[in-house]
Amino acid sequence: MDVVYSVIPAGVLSQIFVGLSRTTILFIVASGLTLILGVLRIPNVAHGSLYMIGAFTAFSVAKLSGGGSTGFWTAVAIAPLAVAAISFIAERGMFQFLYEREHLMLLLLTFAFSLVFGDLVKLVWGSEYKSVPVPPVFQGFIPLFGGLPFPLYNLFLLVAGPVVAILLWLLTNRTKMGKIARAAAVDREMVGAVGINVSRVFATVFVIGCYLAGLGGVLVAPTVSVTLGMDHNLIIEAFLIVIIGGLGNIWGALLGALIFGLTQSLGILIWPKFGIIFPYLAVVVVLLFRPTGLLKSTW
Amino acid sequence: MKKTVSVILFVAFFIGLFTAGPLAYAQNTIKVGIVDTYTGPATTFTMDVLDGFKLAVNDINAKGGVLGKKIEYMTRDEKFKPDIGLAMAKELVLKENVDLLMGTINSATTLAISDFVKKEKLPFFVTFAKSEKIIGEKGHPYIFNMNESTAMAGKAAAIALAKKPYVKYWIAGDDYEYGHAIADSLWNHLKKIKPQVQKVGESWWKVGEADFTPYITQILAAKPDFIIAATGGAGMVNFQKAAKATGLSQKIPFYQHTAIELSVLKPQEQNAPEGVFGTANYFFYYPDTPSNRAFVDEFKKAYNREPRVGALSGYMTARFIAEGYKKAGKIDKEALIKALEGMSLNSPVGPMAIRGCDHQLELPMYFGTTTKNPKYNFLVAGDIQVIQAKDYMPTCDEVIKSRK
Repeated sequence: MDVVYSVIPAGVLSQIFVGLSRTTILFIVASGLTLILGVLRIPNVAHGSLYMIGAFTAFSVAKLSGGGSTGFWTAVAIAPLAVAAISFIAERGMFQFLYEREHLMLLLLTFAFSLVFGDLVKLVWGSEYKSVPVPPVFQGFIPLFGGLPFPLYNLFLLVAGPVVAILLWLLTNRTKMGKIARAAAVDREMVGAVGINVSRVFATVFVIGCYLAGLGGVLVAPTVSVTLGMDHNLIIEAFLIVIIGGLGNIWGALLGALIFGLTQSLGILIWPKFGIIFPYLAVVVVLLFRPTGLLKSTW
Repeated sequence: MKKTVSVILFVAFFIGLFTAGPLAYAQNTIKVGIVDTYTGPATTFTMDVLDGFKLAVNDINAKGGVLGKKIEYMTRDEKFKPDIGLAMAKELVLKENVDLLMGTINSATTLAISDFVKKEKLPFFVTFAKSEKIIGEKGHPYIFNMNESTAMAGKAAAIALAKKPYVKYWIAGDDYEYGHAIADSLWNHLKKIKPQVQKVGESWWKVGEADFTPYITQILAAKPDFIIAATGGAGMVNFQKAAKATGLSQKIPFYQHTAIELSVLKPQEQNAPEGVFGTANYFFYYPDTPSNRAFVDEFKKAYNREPRVGALSGYMTARFIAEGYKKAGKIDKEALIKALEGMSLNSPVGPMAIRGCDHQLELPMYFGTTTKNPKYNFLVAGDIQVIQAKDYMPTCDEVIKSRK
């Protein structure tokens, strides 16, 4: 390891890996957002609310199933499904009738949804902070990179991120549904013309995208306090990631999340007092030189 | 058919006009308008203020009210937006004819309303906003501050921390006014009391930051003796969780204002880090006196949860309003202000006065560390040290000087 440290100092290496683990959550949420944006052309502002609902549901499920590791894994299994179910109802009950409307109209509608969801969460869970404990398996930290502590849960996130990315790649490139969805993203009328039920494809993509929002919410829950308003913080970052990656491009979301997570954690190292500005600087730089995003946009 | 409907509507409209009219004019109550944030993360604090206030008002009204009048209140949700908050305060004063205003958790809203009540000459009780400008720079005779300010919290912490052996400090926090104000006040007072302290670095993250790990690894590498973590709201819990996950809490001690408060510790149950330093103005378990126990029981019976710091602030606001009018002997704004200046009442945690010179409520401040206690399934404050209001509040001279 000493050879490595002579090239990259341990502190920097540690910071890179912490940044990568943070990327995981950003990627999972942003990929869902970009999927819906690419295929359905809906700028889903309520995506952040679904992430928040995912976290709150995770809190309840983990508590009801006895807490601890079982509670956490049950929450990982159930909470995103609950979010997917909510989004299914919203899609069938509302969005499917509005696909032909203007983007602005859809934007306003999803914004309305985010307000409604926010109040619903307050009604159901109340206004107190909630906390999902880190499952016992991932509690604590290991000394990594020159003895700097690395939380075990972040290590778990480092594994979870690539797993989700691979599953998404398989889904979009290796399944018929995925291929149809990609085709619909490019030309939805043509897909309909060859006899494919576009409405059903849209519903499926919408539900998968929202499932990812819920999954992000569950995975972030053990590291933060679950509160009202956590949706607003995330949705802006998620949109920025989607924009710098290229609208509708899942790999763009991955790239955007990487840029966001890494510039932040390395920025802190360079100038801790102003660490927050680095990801936004990166966004500005990307948009100056590639206004349509780094990768090909489906729009 | 259509005609009948319109006739019915027409009649209903006029009935509405006539019944609503007299109600609006017969002011047989004392009207308190409450502007506060009832959506979003701030709700966790504002509901306590409101419930504490309601508890006292219900009790006062049940005993016949004040000078034969009942206290009536109406709430408005300002959604954490100063412009909305100001519009609502205006609506309450000009349309609803409220006698008094109270709220808010948002310092910017509070300052905007403060400006308005100064012109309207209407008393305004500030229940949760922490900016020192409210009483200081922008202070005026119609403002009453019923909670501590960032300057006071920082000074109280500095008094307690100066006695500890730490020398090399790292300052970190939420990058907004509250975070910087707490950190600045603490640091400036600490330097004054203990000149040998030195600052080894600073880091500031955005409000609502989800992951503190990158910041913490950076702080660990710098090896300070102590960290001032100027976090607020949900950032309190987030930072404690990250401090535990990274092992920071076992390596470097740190301080957060309200770290030892119920709103931060209860959600984490047994998982909160131990030994975190904090300050707070109220605990339901300390001081363990009959009056505090009675208040806690009453609050628990009504709302099925323990009262937190905001509950005391809301409760005492109602008590002071009632006693103030009683002492004044009439429902008159100027007379109320006169009566309240220097008035001392028994609170659940002992006697509490409103200082005459600047209308600041003299609350005790508790300094302590997070500790496990077999009596509760969450961590509580241990090793509690009481810092008296006269020690941590700015002096009257300082406040009057800052107003010029």
